[in-house]
Amino acid sequence: MLKLHQMTTSKANSLLLALLFLPAFNPALAQQASPPPVSAQQAPEQLPNQAPEQVESGSEETATRSPVYWLGKMADAVTNLEYRGLVTYEHVGMLETLEVIHGVRGGEQVERVRYLSGTPRELVSRGQDAHCRREGSPLSRAGLWSQMGQQNVQSLYHVLQRGRERVADRDAVVLELRPKDVHRLGMVVSVHEDTGLPLKSMLVNPNGQVLERYQFVELDLSPVKDEDLVAKSPDARESDAGSDCGSIVSRWQLRWVPPGFKPVASREIDQGELLVYSDGLSVFTVFVQALGPEMNFNGRAVRGATVAYMDHVVFDKQRYTITVVGEIPVQTAQLVARSVTGKH
Amino acid sequence: MSHGNHQQRLNESLSALMDGEATELEIQRLLKEKGASGSVSADGLDQRWSRYQLAASVMRGEAVAPVDLGLAASISAAIDDEPALDVRPEVAANDVQPRSRWWRPLSRGAVAATVAFAAVLGVQQLQQPVTSGGGELVAEAERPAQQPVQSVPRPSGFYVPALNTRSVSTMPLVTPEQQRGAAQQGVPMQLVPSPELMRHLNRVMIEHSEQAAQMGSQGMVPFARATYGEQPPE
Repeated sequence: MLKLHQMTTSKANSLLLALLFLPAFNPALAQQASPPPVSAQQAPEQLPNQAPEQVESGSEETATRSPVYWLGKMADAVTNLEYRGLVTYEHVGMLETLEVIHGVRGGEQVERVRYLSGTPRELVSRGQDAHCRREGSPLSRAGLWSQMGQQNVQSLYHVLQRGRERVADRDAVVLELRPKDVHRLGMVVSVHEDTGLPLKSMLVNPNGQVLERYQFVELDLSPVKDEDLVAKSPDARESDAGSDCGSIVSRWQLRWVPPGFKPVASREIDQGELLVYSDGLSVFTVFVQALGPEMNFNGRAVRGATVAYMDHVVFDKQRYTITVVGEIPVQTAQLVARSVTGKH
Repeated sequence: MSHGNHQQRLNESLSALMDGEATELEIQRLLKEKGASGSVSADGLDQRWSRYQLAASVMRGEAVAPVDLGLAASISAAIDDEPALDVRPEVAANDVQPRSRWWRPLSRGAVAATVAFAAVLGVQQLQQPVTSGGGELVAEAERPAQQPVQSVPRPSGFYVPALNTRSVSTMPLVTPEQQRGAAQQGVPMQLVPSPELMRHLNRVMIEHSEQAAQMGSQGMVPFARATYGEQPPE
């Protein structure tokens, strides 16, 4: 129970990844991996509150850690670690610079992103749906809290360790998540050895082209002050995700989804619904909306790693526009779009 | 090999270099020609290169930096009466002398930029998965031709990309499906994306990114994506 309670304070999907991490702490494996296991630090109960400084680091430890260990550590860090930094974001052949701040307030994440180049853009997101993961919700993300969910990422991706590198003046372990099929993109992540924070992450298509690169230039791991979580520009967008649990019973269903993708959220939007699917790493969203004939478009739109495929479906004599959006290959998005049907 | 043929090949190489598409062989050819300094065709290259750059700037609507009068005069002379330059070689030689020193470092820059571009492409291939079968390659080929992320912008001449592309670049690249008829179901399908369509695409991409951000597995990357397409308030 204690474990459950603590775990619910972190994001569901990191739970999935955190669970991947558990096998590494299986006593038998732990003995192999690091000779004197420090039980107080390594007990799963301690995971969400684990202070980064307490984690042993050093090249010997690093060398013996499994890629799955780093994956688990990363999932924990992106949720529970407070940090601020400057980031470069390469996308569509353009290089942008951003300021990112990640704080945790009352068990909820508060995140602020501000573009330092180009058009001024800023987003503050707070109150990520900690209260939406209660049991019994038909499409809750807790659905990934299963034996199958734990193995999902490993069964869909080869997790490889690709050596080490230095990013933002810190040592990192380079992990590659290479998809086992054609329905998802690969990822190369450089994970900070001390904290598990991804210092650099790239999305890679099957041809080996980097579609997007997000990389820290400067990182500050000291606790985040409240005033740093407040928007700096008057035009900043506030996103309060906590108000919507995203678990309506949808009118729509997909006759086909790529292997390993599971429904994680669905909710009502303007003139329709959206359905979110994830395999634990990749995410795609299906929009079904009655938008009228001016949205009669069949084709694709691509921006960096994100692809949108538009099609339509006629159901009960009503025409609906379908848009599948995600960091997935375009033909996968197309197959998903064509598989949308109404429920009778 | 006649002289005219050689000159024509040089011109082709020069224009390839201008477009950032010169091969190693063509660059070598141009450099060799430059090395044979004093030759009539080498001086012609200088002038041609300057003209190409100037013309490209004007076509892009860029403000052209003040050009020294001798250069400007010789360009207008060249445009007015191109063959006349050959008739009066001693006049051209006077103008060319300072100019050739001026463009020489640029030429090295062009070669360097081309090499850097090749290096960037090379690095990107390092991550190529060994497991990808033929099917994946065919499938991925369907993704519309889009410039992958690069550390340097594609060199086109030596010019920095025009700054006013910024607002355009946040828009997704839209490609209609070819095989399905436009006249299907009596509702005309738009082939040119309308502003409404672009707004819809931008909106769903932002919405998707925020959903993905809640999944948490990618940290704050989806927020970067979500904010990227944000339009300034209207």
